[in-house]
Amino acid sequence: MRAAVGDRIIIKGHRVGEPDRDCEVLEVRGADGGPPFVVRWGDSGHETLFFPGSDAVVQHFEHATPNGTPS
Amino acid sequence: MRAIDAIRRSGVAIAPDRTIRDAAEIMERSGVGSLAVVDGDELVGIVTDRDLVRRGMARGLPLDARVDGLMSSPVVTIDADADLHAASAVFRSNAVRRLAITRDGRFVGMLSLDDLLVNLAADLSDLVRPITAEVIFGHHDSPVPASR
Repeated sequence: MRAAVGDRIIIKGHRVGEPDRDCEVLEVRGADGGPPFVVRWGDSGHETLFFPGSDAVVQHFEHATPNGTPS
Repeated sequence: MRAIDAIRRSGVAIAPDRTIRDAAEIMERSGVGSLAVVDGDELVGIVTDRDLVRRGMARGLPLDARVDGLMSSPVVTIDADADLHAASAVFRSNAVRRLAITRDGRFVGMLSLDDLLVNLAADLSDLVRPITAEVIFGHHDSPVPASR
């Protein structure tokens, strides 16, 4: 799994009725955009190291370059 | 199957100087029941929701106590590329429900006993399927060569 700063990671609920959870990628510690990621959990402000498993998907966002064009 | 491929839940790690309250909130927020405690790149312990209750609340530790005060250490680990049979053996010989998976000595994920059971159940289901079909649809004998 690869991610970039600003991407959102969604962790699917593991049981019926369990809500999905999400966090924002603040820093990529692995090589070539790979894990681990430093993430912030929702609006709680808690930052942790995150090691994605098969329950996690990355929602990529277009990141603006310095000249204003999307990367 | 490799241990790393059997993980069904993402792993979450916190620093040892974070508080018990932080650990509980992060577990709730991320939906995991255990956190790896990582100091820099080094895996120094594991803290579970059970640890928070038995070693924290039951002993009256304040919520702002450091999480490394109630974590389990040293950590039972297995290499990411190890076979699941090896993981089963480690579970058998250690009274733990979670194994920290490492690669080159660094934490990369958490394998739970539940993960192993789910994989075992899937294997059993695959094995039972042909037998179930035989029970439902009857036994097909091999043709007997005609006697001369």
